[in-house]
Amino acid sequence: MIIDLKDINKSYPGVVPLHVLKDVNLQIEKGELVSIMGASGSGKSTLLNILGILDNYDSGEYHLDGVLIKNLTENKAADLRNYMIGFVFQSFNLIGYKNALENVALPLFYRGISRKKRNALAMEQLERMGLADRANHLPSEMSGGQKQRVAIARALITNPSILLADEPTGALDSKTSKEVMQVFRDLNAEGRTIVIVTHDPGVGEQTNRIIRISDGRIVTPPTDIR
Amino acid sequence: MIDLVNEILATLRHNKLRTALTGFAVSWGIFLLIVLLSLSRGLVNGMDSMFSKRDTESITVEGGWAHKPYKGLTDDRRIQLKERDVNLLTNRNANVVANVVPDISSDTATISTGKDYATGGFKGVYPSGLKSDGATMLEGRFINDNDVRLTRRVMVLHKDNAKNLFGDKSPVGKLVKMNDLSFTVIGVFSHEWNTKSYIPYSTARNLTGGGDDIKKLTVSVHGMSTTEEGTQAEKDFYTTLGKEHQFDPSDESALWIWNRFNQHLTQSSAMGALGVAVWVIGLLTMLSGIVGVSNIMFVSVRERTHEIGVRRAIGARPLSILKQIILESVAITTLFGYIGIVMGVALSQLIDFIATKANAEFIQNPTVDLGVALQVTLVLVIAGALAGLFPALKSLKIKPVEALRDE
Repeated sequence: MIIDLKDINKSYPGVVPLHVLKDVNLQIEKGELVSIMGASGSGKSTLLNILGILDNYDSGEYHLDGVLIKNLTENKAADLRNYMIGFVFQSFNLIGYKNALENVALPLFYRGISRKKRNALAMEQLERMGLADRANHLPSEMSGGQKQRVAIARALITNPSILLADEPTGALDSKTSKEVMQVFRDLNAEGRTIVIVTHDPGVGEQTNRIIRISDGRIVTPPTDIR
Repeated sequence: MIDLVNEILATLRHNKLRTALTGFAVSWGIFLLIVLLSLSRGLVNGMDSMFSKRDTESITVEGGWAHKPYKGLTDDRRIQLKERDVNLLTNRNANVVANVVPDISSDTATISTGKDYATGGFKGVYPSGLKSDGATMLEGRFINDNDVRLTRRVMVLHKDNAKNLFGDKSPVGKLVKMNDLSFTVIGVFSHEWNTKSYIPYSTARNLTGGGDDIKKLTVSVHGMSTTEEGTQAEKDFYTTLGKEHQFDPSDESALWIWNRFNQHLTQSSAMGALGVAVWVIGLLTMLSGIVGVSNIMFVSVRERTHEIGVRRAIGARPLSILKQIILESVAITTLFGYIGIVMGVALSQLIDFIATKANAEFIQNPTVDLGVALQVTLVLVIAGALAGLFPALKSLKIKPVEALRDE
């Protein structure tokens, strides 16, 4: 089991505290392609942030690949993100003044890997995404689909335990969406564990399992739709 | 490390205009600091060299007019110094007076050769006169003890007079005429403004009629270190001479005293204060540049909240973000600071060039040395780090999840 959530609760403080996650239990096995679906405000983004160690939870236990993720220092959290998690965002989140190669290589910079080595590894990832000829292009010089594939290459370069994607097709047209989803399916076929957060049923259908979340609770028992 | 530098260069390149504007503020501050420092250095150098040419341990005393009634005597009496005052002053104020040299001079005497003549007068001196007048010998020798003892008719000419009378030929050993008497030229001196020819004191005394009236006394002092002591010495002179010449010791107009000792002390401390003031002004000027850098770094952190969030999400430790922002700030300040230093040094060299050409005495060698350059560099690095610190700390408060939401 690569992701194991037990009774996770999360609320945001305020005049009226907002209880966004209520006793969430969730297990995801290695090699699964899972989508988390829900309306906006349902808590799916918060769940993704917790899964991605970008946010804390109030109670419960979260094990990622056997490691308990709780009360981490900023440094420890940063290291775990670097080593275990690959992020793909809706708005790509590439750094605008760095070219594709430098963007892909950036996670390895924070691992202290030499420039030469990380550029070689980044080039390998870009080749896999079919973007070798775009290595020296800035994000502004690329199409949405190309940008998202650069972002996927960046997420994969650290060889993470899971790939977390937040509305990865939200900013793409339907044709490009299909291409990107195909990339995810291919990666899953190679054995990658992938969790995609989306509200697009079309995207959810292309995953092996849909987890529906509503009002902070997982509503349907996680069943295999296939 | 190289990677970090590359990261910083990339962000600076990305924000060229912002970097340039911030940099200008820093450059300007440093530029002003360097120019101010070198100008004050030049002024201090100029003052020092003017003082070192004069005897700073001397007090000049001249007779004046008594304006206060004293022991039945009315006011408005002329006080005439006499030769015996030399011994009086020396003996009664032995604790501070090293020696007293009387001064006999003429402003009008004409010196002539067969073909030409020069004005400027003469001054009777002892061998110590060279130092107390702050003159320098260019050729030959100055008046010596034997000249005074034997009342020799020898003369030391100012270089301008020597040139007028003898052209480019050496005047040493030549004869000149003054007051219908022949004098042998024994040397040539140089002085900023005093062109009087020097002759032995005894000879001058005979020339002016051999009386014991003295126009001026130059008192060499020793063993004093404060202006209080200098002022006390002045008061002592009034007391000593007041008894002798029958005037009220508190009657300041009775004597005309030029206290070079106090003047020098006051001017040196003023120079010291000038140095401090220049640093204060310079640093305050720089402060506005530094605040500018800090401000820009705040803006930069704000603008890059999203980017910082992305970096944190892909595994940047907080420290590496902190380091990057601080080093970015240090890089801006030092890079543009150095441009400011170079411009400042260039301007001070230009001032030096102009001042040398214009023969300005009051400003000399207005340049900053390596020590100052190092101090300024240190100030720059510290200032840059401080300017970056607060924005960097602010950036750490940004949670990656909030930063990513910020679009």
